[in-house]
Formats: sequence, structure tokens, C-alpha cells
Amino acid sequence: MQLKHIYIGFLGLIVLSSFAMIQDDNIILDLKLLTTQTEFESGSSITLKFSTSKMSDLILYCSSSYGTTLLSPKVEKSTITYTIPDHISNKSGQVQWQLINGNNSLSGQFNIIPKSDVATMETYIGPPSIEAGGTDYTMLVVIPTDRLDNPLPKNTLVNAKHQFLSSQFSDSITTNHIIAYKTIYSKNESGRILVSSESSNTNSKEYSITVFPAIPTHFKISAKQPHNYADGNQVTTFETSVIRDKLNNIVSDGTYVSFFITNSKGNKLKTSGTTINGVAKAMMIHPDHQTQWTVKGYVDGISESDPISVNFKQVIEDFDVTFSNNNRLISIGPLQSFMNQLIPDGFKVELLLYKNDKLLNILTKTSIDGYVNFNLTSNIATNDTYTIVIKSAGLEKAFNTINVW
Amino acid sequence: MKETTNKYLIAALLLGLTFHGTSIFFTLESTYDALIHLFFADHYANSWFEPWNYKWYTGFTVMSYPPLVHQSIALFSIIGGLKFGLFSVALISIILFITGVYRFSLLLTGHKTVAGYAALLAVFSSSFVETLHVFGQLPSIIGISILMHALPEIYLWLKTGKYWYLATSLSLISVTVTSHHVTPIFGMVFFIFPLIGMVIMDVAKETSGSIKSVNFKVFLNSFLKLFKRIISFGILSLIIIIGCILPYWINSKNNPITQVPIPHGSRDNFLEVTSSGLVFFLIPWGVLLILLPYIFYRYYSKRYLFFGLSITILTVLGTGGSTPIPRIVLGETAFNILTLDRFTLWASIMSLPLLGEFAYRFIQGDLKTLIQTKFGAVYHRISGGILAGLFIFMTIFTMSLGYFRPSQPQQIKMLPIVNFLNQDDHDKWRFLTLGFGDQMAWLSAQTNAMTVDGNYHSARRLPELTTRPIERLENSKFKGVAGIGSLQQFLTTPEKYNLKYIFSNDKFYDPILYFCGWQRLQQLENGIMVWERLNVPPVSSILPKEDVSKWQKLLWGIVPLLTVLIAFILNIQMLWVHALKTKIKKAPVFFSFKKEYSKFSNTILKLTHLWSVILAILLCFCVYQFYIKNDSQRSPENAIMAYYDALDFKEFESAYNLINPKSNKTIRQYMLEVSVTDGLLSSYAKLDAISSEIINQNDSLAQAKVITHWITPLEKIQRIDYKSLTKQNGKWFLEPDDIDTDLPPDQLYSNATTSYFNQGRRRITTEQTHHEDVLKQPVLEVLSAKLVKYNTHYAIIGEVQNIDNVPADIVLKGTLYDANHKELATYNAKYHMKHKLMPKETTSFKINFEGIAWSKTKDSIPHTFNPDEFTPVELEHQPITFNIQAAGNVSGSDLYKNVVLSDINFSEDYMYGTLFNSGLQEITVPQLLISYYDENKSIVWVDHLFIKEGIRQQRQQGFQYDLISNTTIKIINESMENIYVNGLPNEPISNKIVPDRIEKHLNLELQQINHPDFSYIKVETNTYIGNPN
Repeated sequence: MQLKHIYIGFLGLIVLSSFAMIQDDNIILDLKLLTTQTEFESGSSITLKFSTSKMSDLILYCSSSYGTTLLSPKVEKSTITYTIPDHISNKSGQVQWQLINGNNSLSGQFNIIPKSDVATMETYIGPPSIEAGGTDYTMLVVIPTDRLDNPLPKNTLVNAKHQFLSSQFSDSITTNHIIAYKTIYSKNESGRILVSSESSNTNSKEYSITVFPAIPTHFKISAKQPHNYADGNQVTTFETSVIRDKLNNIVSDGTYVSFFITNSKGNKLKTSGTTINGVAKAMMIHPDHQTQWTVKGYVDGISESDPISVNFKQVIEDFDVTFSNNNRLISIGPLQSFMNQLIPDGFKVELLLYKNDKLLNILTKTSIDGYVNFNLTSNIATNDTYTIVIKSAGLEKAFNTINVW
Repeated sequence: MKETTNKYLIAALLLGLTFHGTSIFFTLESTYDALIHLFFADHYANSWFEPWNYKWYTGFTVMSYPPLVHQSIALFSIIGGLKFGLFSVALISIILFITGVYRFSLLLTGHKTVAGYAALLAVFSSSFVETLHVFGQLPSIIGISILMHALPEIYLWLKTGKYWYLATSLSLISVTVTSHHVTPIFGMVFFIFPLIGMVIMDVAKETSGSIKSVNFKVFLNSFLKLFKRIISFGILSLIIIIGCILPYWINSKNNPITQVPIPHGSRDNFLEVTSSGLVFFLIPWGVLLILLPYIFYRYYSKRYLFFGLSITILTVLGTGGSTPIPRIVLGETAFNILTLDRFTLWASIMSLPLLGEFAYRFIQGDLKTLIQTKFGAVYHRISGGILAGLFIFMTIFTMSLGYFRPSQPQQIKMLPIVNFLNQDDHDKWRFLTLGFGDQMAWLSAQTNAMTVDGNYHSARRLPELTTRPIERLENSKFKGVAGIGSLQQFLTTPEKYNLKYIFSNDKFYDPILYFCGWQRLQQLENGIMVWERLNVPPVSSILPKEDVSKWQKLLWGIVPLLTVLIAFILNIQMLWVHALKTKIKKAPVFFSFKKEYSKFSNTILKLTHLWSVILAILLCFCVYQFYIKNDSQRSPENAIMAYYDALDFKEFESAYNLINPKSNKTIRQYMLEVSVTDGLLSSYAKLDAISSEIINQNDSLAQAKVITHWITPLEKIQRIDYKSLTKQNGKWFLEPDDIDTDLPPDQLYSNATTSYFNQGRRRITTEQTHHEDVLKQPVLEVLSAKLVKYNTHYAIIGEVQNIDNVPADIVLKGTLYDANHKELATYNAKYHMKHKLMPKETTSFKINFEGIAWSKTKDSIPHTFNPDEFTPVELEHQPITFNIQAAGNVSGSDLYKNVVLSDINFSEDYMYGTLFNSGLQEITVPQLLISYYDENKSIVWVDHLFIKEGIRQQRQQGFQYDLISNTTIKIINESMENIYVNGLPNEPISNKIVPDRIEKHLNLELQQINHPDFSYIKVETNTYIGNPN
């Protein structure tokens, strides 16, 4: 019986005590924000002060664009103070706060503004090379930031400066959505643009933009020859006039110019050169027989030259052919050039071996000291009768029924 | 009885350690396998429990090879570096082998002196020398050595039934299996089964009193008596073999070897391929060959009967492809996977006890008495001298094999390469080595950078590799079409593998690198040329891997060393007692089965004599054949062979000695002529096959037609030369060839060119390159592009121009789509384009769609070599549309454009002409790109020609090109819609730079041809400069 009473008493106490706790929870503190400032400069120490009716250590919920945190107060008699940590107070932007106090939560917000001085200029520019002519452009993007790397407020003035040839330009641009930008158009000349920017007496480093010349325009070509004989040895040089773009800039070095040569047979030969100071040079070895060349220079799809024609005079008028050693050794020569000098070594002579009008073999040799010797060994020609044709310098000599034994 | 130290064993150990211990420092690093084991060891040293390795083959698992040896090297490497670890383990393997042979011999013969002799001879046995100093197969040596240590314990367990011996034998088996997986499996069959047979014999002998009275019934009874022990040992060792390296077996099951078999010399017909016969048969057998009758006679005695069977099988299997038996016995698959040389190795090791026995009997036993009484003491001494001489000769010959026929390129200093890879984030890309041999493994061990290649072919994963019978891309030139074909795929589409750097130690590969769009970066101080490819993205920071469960990793990391520890603890007592003779130990039971060497069989002596005579005759015959074949001036054919051989190996002096001495050509003139010839054929070709046909011949003159086949990195070349030969003083000589006498007009030339330099990193900082230092990608314009069907395969052809102001390196990537816009294939332009373009320069291009060759029909791998040939990709559907991604990057290298088409003429079906080199660099490989046009001057096909000869400065070179004919070319799509340049659409971006393009400008200058299918062609030139200066 007694035990039962104790139980009841005990349970009663529990019920009572729970009431007491609920009671305690329901005590609403009388909180009031004492700090009136709602705009702070970044980097400054920010504290929020509240008056309170009772000593309490409520937690402040604090949220900025860099994250969210919970802050504990410093409690003094009737005030509680919250110090906003550096990582929030250093960043410009809006900060929301909320003091959680049951249903009667207190909330608010304040702004952190960037420092007014510009410490660094975050600068981007691109592309690093553009084309002359006024249509191509590069773009400068500047983000002036304060000492704490906060972008400066909208409409901060930035001076975008660039230099080209003898002129210097300065444009005032203002930031919007963090950045200030300026498109820099090329001028008519090729060259180099140096770019920098300035804001609140802080300057960026130097950036450079290469302005390349535009595409080439039509040009002229010429030929330079040591002589105009078809000796198969000397080299003719073709040269373009100074190739310029439509704005009179010399095209960039290395521009590829191809020279197409049409010879008397209508076949197309090709040489090429790359420009230096607008002039492209290309070389071509002389033919070994009389011919006429029509030469034209091209920059593919872009520009071309007028054709020029180059004539080559026959250098060897005739040559002797002697047979010896059972007609197996055939000697051609002397091959003599325009002043009757022996032709330089390496002049090409062809021997065509026919049997009953059927081409059996073509032998090619080059001259030494004006002569070429062919040796018809038994693997080339067995003992038989052949027609032998000697070709050189565009001349042709046929020897019928040569008996080889 | 006081235990005495076995002097022979001590001598063997001392000699072995001194001899091998000194020489491994000169041989081991240039063996085939040692550096691979070093690479694995490096893996364990860095990540003991993580089996995945990213460095090779775009990732592979080290669970594909038993780990013990690698882990031991890794452990030792903590003390003194990887190489210290390697040599330490090698020294241990030497000790284990010598003692192993001793114990195995002791077990078989029961005779300490005999075993001592065997150990002493084992030190110098040619098979051991070859395995260690030529092959570097440490795991295999350790595996077989431990197995030999296990054999006495197994015998004792079976014979006595003491559980202690079961424990020791199993502990040793477990060490064997963790060091080499093949050894215990085949060791079970070839060593342990015969051993069991011997134990049963011994037991049977004990029951029946004498070995003679043992018959099948007695044998069967003894077998049944021992059955429990045999079975328990069998089952337990099977569990150990599977259990200790369980992850290995799981990995083998999950990734079965499905690759095309790689040819191995041990599978050759040794009579045909004599070099394989030498390395895989003659050397391992060595002097044992003479003793074969004795060995077989002894092993076929009743007690050793099962060893006799075993060694017979081993001998036959070791003959490789010489007889059809190994193929029949092993089956096609096993025959093609196993390397058969190990059977010969085991056979020779199995013969060692009997070699010891023979030596004992010859030196101090009954054989000595027999010979001395029969033939006299002098004969005994002489024959002893001959045998010893042969034995020493084989040892020296084997040791010096690596000196005379190096299996590896000269040792490469790795430090400059390692430094290069560490600098400037170069290890963020994969690299590839060419011509490094097995040293690539050592490079991989030293760097964090990854390679697409690798040196453990069982672990290859990329289908580009597994479908070809090549071990490595690295040495692909030795693997014919399959090798170069595989390499070309990697070179053409390197971005697929993030492959940016190539280290080339072999200039053979240079032309293919150049024509695939690679450029030389720099020559390192060790002479290695670094090639790089632009426009390749770095390896992503997270790479895929095949993970295995944690227990497997733990088991793999712990068990192998644990087995060593357990084996050590269990066997230490025995070792201690044996080595220091601390107490007198009862002789093991097998001592009671010792054979008394009282009477050497007369028949065997006679047989051995007969056999030796046969061998000697064979040897003489071989030497004579060798002489006849190699006497270079015996016949015109020999002279031609020798001449081309000398040219192939660049032995110009030997070649000159075959030139007619009366031809008035001095060696200086000859060498000068050789030195001025350059080109694909003279500098980059390897003679593949040569056949000569004598057209006519009399006593002093001969005319020969020589057909040569050359392998070059670009294509296969066939040449037909006519050579005249004369005979003087009984020797045949070749007549010298004519030389080109072309004489340029001037001595000195000058030429102004524009050259370029890209800073790379302008600031010396490890930060990411500053944005303002990143160059703009040059703007390209694709002028035309078409999808065409050429006979049966598809290609994209067209023309592309660099319309920027800076020179560009160009990568063209084409993709084919079917009617439902499903991607069918992607490939890059290989060498049908100029990869480097000057500003405003144009090139024609062709993108072939290459498949992974022969992935379907393994059997149809062509045996002929033709790197030019490719397997068109198999497309699921008909391609309808295509896209091209063109990427330009600023490049200042390989911009030589001074090659001139100086003459061109046409015959019926070919064109011929000359090229003139108008510049100051010697052109090594000129290339012609020939574009075909239809009657509307619209491009329809692009073809190429590599000219075999180089062109010296200011000189001309003729060429001949066969126009293509009998083809059907169908244009499928010529829409220019899906073409992108540097990621931007082609048309708008080109309109900005060239707004008023003169369309089809150069059509005016197309060359008209008389051809049934085409109306015009265009010839463009491209050049590879071998030695830019």
C-alpha cells in the first residue's frame, strides 16, 4: 500500500517537473538589436549587439554568399554581442542573420561593401593576335578588386589604355556585374598594341596584342637568271614584288606563295617560296632542252600575279655517238654547251633499247666531263640486233639494226 | 660417427657466389626478364597492398604474376634501392640453387660425395648460367630451387609418415608457388610424381628384400600402403598451390589470356631456325648431351624408372617445333602459350645428380678403373680433359652470349629521361619508348609517368595490342606488319591514349613519326630523341581501374612473405644442424638406398663412345655447312648475299672487300659514295628477304638478278637490281655501281628563311601557363571535304588551308555517321597530308578509317610485311554523313618547303619526273601527295608516294609513280556542313578572314592527264629531313 503511494508521489513529481520545464521554455526573452549600422566596409570588425532582458547565450545563425555559420555571443549584463568572423566580414556582399529565440526569432541583414581603394587589377585579354583592317578585335576585361579581393561596386571607373604606333588611347569604362570591358579594334596598320588599365591610381601590368596584316592582294613576279640557256644545271630564281594586304601592310613573314610553271608540253611544274618582308623567292633548276615557261604566282584562294614567260635556248645542238666493243659500249659526247665548253657533269642522257619496235629497256646515265658511256652487258642485251635510240637535251638519235654480239 | 663438412658443397657455394655474384653485375641488367621483375618490385615498394598498376597498358593488375620475388626485391630496396634488392635476391637464388641441387642429388643417390660433385657442376651448368645470366628468370630459378629443397622432405614424409616432414614439405611448396606459378604445377608432374614412384619402389624393395625381386604386385601393394600419405600430401599441396596465390587464379579466370599468341623461339623448328636451336636446346643441354646415354640408362633403372619417364617427356617437349610431338601432346593452345624452353631447363636440372654421379665415377670411382684397365691411364686423362674442356667452353660460351649477340640495346642512361618527365608536367601525358628493349621497364620503375606500352604481355588489355602477336610496341620493327601496323595506330590517334611524348633510341622509326604528324622536341644528353605530338589532352586525374576485394589484396600482400617466414622457421633447425654440425643427426632414410658404385656397365661405356662419335660427326658436318654457306666468295650467290648482308648491317668495309679490286674504286671513294647517299632505302630500311638468280655465268663472269625486299617504317619496298660479277683468283667479286655525277652550279649557297620559336613556358613557374602566354590556335579553312567509297572502303578526302599568319601543325579527325546519326568510326589523317603548313599553304588530305587489324580472323594474319597496308574498319551500317574536326597549333618545326617539282612527264599508265631540292637541308624522305580530279576539276581521291632515295641540297632526284587504275570511286557525301576548325564552325570563321575567296583558285593549274577515270591531277610535295642542321 505504502509503496503505491510512493509511486504516485514520484510520478506526480515527474509530471510537475515537466511542467516546470515547459514553463521555463516558454519564457520569451525581450531581445532588441542595438546595432544600427547596416553597411560595413569589408575588412572592418563587425559586431551585432542585442539588448536582452535576461542573461542568455542564444546562437546567431549567420549566412553570406561564402557560407553559413553559427555564432556564440559574448554575454554582458544586459547585452549580448556577436562578432562576425573574418571570413565573412572580409567578403563584400549581403549577410543575413537570425537570432533563434523560439517563435520569437529576430532576423535581419546587413551589407558589406568593398573597400574603396583598388588594390589589384585582375585583367584578361584575348585573343592575343588579331588582323589589321578594323574588323577584327580583341577584348580587354578588367576586374578591379580591393585589398581583400572583393570586386569593386558597380560603375567603378576604369581607364582602359592602349598604345598603337604613335598614338595612345584612353577610354573610361565602368564596371558592371563585376567586370569592365573594352573591345579594341585593329587599325589599318599591322603592328603591336600594348594594353593596360587603371582604376583609382592602381595600374595593371602590360599586355600586348599582335596585329597581323590582313590577307595578301595581287602582286607581280619576276625571274632572275644567270643565263637563259637550257643547260639543266643553273637555277632561275622567281621573285614576287612586295606583297601587301589591301591596307598596304606587308604580309606576314612566311606567307606561302606557289609558283606554277607551264612548259611547252603543257605540263605543270611547281615551286614555292615563303615571304620575307613581303617578297617570296622560289627557285627552279633550268630544263635541259629548249622550252618556254609560263609562270604564275598564287596565294591559294586569295591572290595571284600576272603570268610571265621565260624562254630557254637550246644549249646542245648535236652530239656524237660511237659504238665499240662489239657494239656493247656506246659512248655519247662530247656534250658541249653554248660556248662550246663541256657541259657540267650530271647532264642526263637516255638510251632506249628496242627490239622490233618493242621497247625493252630505258637506261639513264649522267655525263662526266662531257661524255656518257653505256655498257650493254649481257643481262641487258643478248647477242642480237636492236634499235638503239639516244635521247638528250630534247634531241633524239636512232640507230637501227645495231648488231650486238 | 662425427659429421664432416661436405667440402664439395662448401667449394660449390664459395665458387658459385664468387663466380655468379661477380658476373651478375655485368649481365643481369641486360637480360630479358630482370628489369621487368624490377618494375614489379618497384610497384610493390610503392604500393604493397594495391595490385592495380597504372603505368603500363593503360592500367593492369600485378596479380597476373606470383609476387614473392618482386616483394622480396621491394623489401630489400628499402635498404639500398631497387637494384640492390635485385642483386640481393639474385645472390639468394644462387645459394638456393646450389644447395637445392645438392639436396636433390643427395636424395637421389644417397651419396654425399656424388651430391657434392653435382653441386659443384651445377654452379657452372650451362642451363643455370643461361637462365640466370641470359634470361634473368629469377622467379623460375627460385621456384625450381625451392622445389628441389622440398623433394627430400616429401620423400621423408612419404617414407616415414612423420607429420613434421609433411609440414616442412608443404611449407616449401608454398614458397615455390608464391615465387613462380608454373614451377609447382609442372613440378608436381615431372618431379614429384616420379619421386612418389621412387618412394614406392624403395618401400617395395624393403618388403621384398632386393630391388630385383620387386614386381608389379609388390609395387602395387607398397603403393596401397603409402596411398593415404600420397593422397594427403597431394590434396594439401593442391590446396596450398591454389590458396597461396588465390588472387592470381581468380584474375586468370576473370581475364583469360585471349590474345593472339606471341611467337617464341622455343616453339621453332630448331633445325630450321638454328639460332633458336642453339639458345633453347644446345646451350641448356650442353655437355649433358654427351652423357645422354648414361643419363637415360641410369634413369631407366628400376628405382628411378619414373624419373626416366619424366625426363623422356621433358626432353621431347623441349624440342619445340622440331618434332610434331610437343604440339600433339600439349594441344594447340597450350603449345602456343607455354614457352617450351623450361622443359629443357627442368630436364637438364633433373640430369644434374647423374652428372655428379658420372663425374664421381669418372674421377674416383669404378668408371675410372674400367677406363684405365681397358684403355690406359692416358686415355682417361685425355678424355677427362676433353670433357672438362667442353664443359668449361659451354659455360664461357653461354656467359659471353650476351656479349657477342646482345639481346638488348646498349645501356641507356635513364636520368635525363626521368628528369625530362619530371619537368614541366611532362608526366601528365603518357609516353612511349622506341628501341629501348627491356630497359623500358627500368625507365617505368623510375618515373611516375605512364606509358601505353608495357613489358609483360600477358597483362595487355588494349585490343590494339592483344590482337597482334607483338610483345611490345617498343620493338615493333622486329614484328613485321603486325608490329608497325600496331605502332602506326598509336601514332596516328595518340589523343585516344593521351600519348604525347616518344623517346626514340632507334632512328628507324623517325620517318613514320614525322609522317604521322609528330615533331622533334629535343635530343636529350643521353642521345635519346624526344618527339612530341601537339593537340593531345593530358591524362585525366581519375583513371578507371578494376578493383578487387580487400581480402584478396590482404592475402596477396601478406601470404607470400608469410610462407617464407613459416618455411624458414620450420626448416631453420635442419639448416642449422646441416650447416654447423652442432649435433650428430641420424642419416635420412634415403641413405640406405645408396647404390654401390662397383662395376660400371661396359655396354654403357661403349654406347657413350658411339654416341660421342655420332655427335662429333654431326658437329663437324654443321661446321662444314656453316663454312660453305658463309664463305662469301665461293660462288656468285654467296658474294651477292654477303654484299647485301654487309650493306644491311652497315659494314661498309666488308662490302667494299667484295667489290672488284680491279675496278679502280678506292675504299675512300667507296665510303664517300656511301656517305652521300641518304634516303628511305639507304638509311631506314632493313633487309627482309633476298633472292638472287644467276642469269648467265661462265668461268670468270656472272650476271645476276637480285630481288631484295626491304622493310622500312613506311612501307615495304621491293627492288630488282642487276649485278655483274667477276672471278679473280678463285674468288667472286661484284662490279661497282655507277654513281650520279650531277654537279650543282655553286659551291656556296645562301638562303633566307623565316624561322619560328614558341617559348613554351615564358615564365619560369610551375603554375598553369598564364592566359596571355597561350597562343591563339591558327585558323584553318577546310576548302573541300568529301566522303568517298574507294572500292570497298571509305575515306574522307579534301583540302585544308592554313589561313592564319603563323605556321600551323594540323590534326584532322574524321568521324563517320550512318543515316540515324549514329557514330560508326573515328580516325585521324595519317600521312596523306602535310601536317605542318606555312601561312596560306594548302594541303590535300585523306582520312582512312583503319580498324583493329585481324580482330576477326586470327588465322588470316598475313606473313608478308607491308606497313603501308591497313585493315579498313568494319562498319555496322553504310556511312552517310561525316564530320571533320580540324585543330591547328602553332609549330615552328619541320617547315622545310624547298622541294621543287622540276620536271613531269606522262606515259600510258604512269608519270615520271624529277624533284629538285632548292634549299639548304638534305631531304631524307621526299613524299608526293597526288590528288585526282574529275572532269569538273572536283577532287575525288588522294594518293601518296614515298620516294626511296633522298635528295641532297641543290640536286635532283627522279621519281616514277603508277597512276591508280581499275578502281571504282563513289562520292557519297560532299556536304561541308559538319566541319569544325578549332571547335568552331568552318564557314563563318573562314568568311571572317578570307571573305572574298577566289573559289577553286588553283584549279587553273591542275595537270591534265589522259586517263579513263580521272581528268586532272595535282602533285604536292612533303619532306622528311632526317638530320636538320
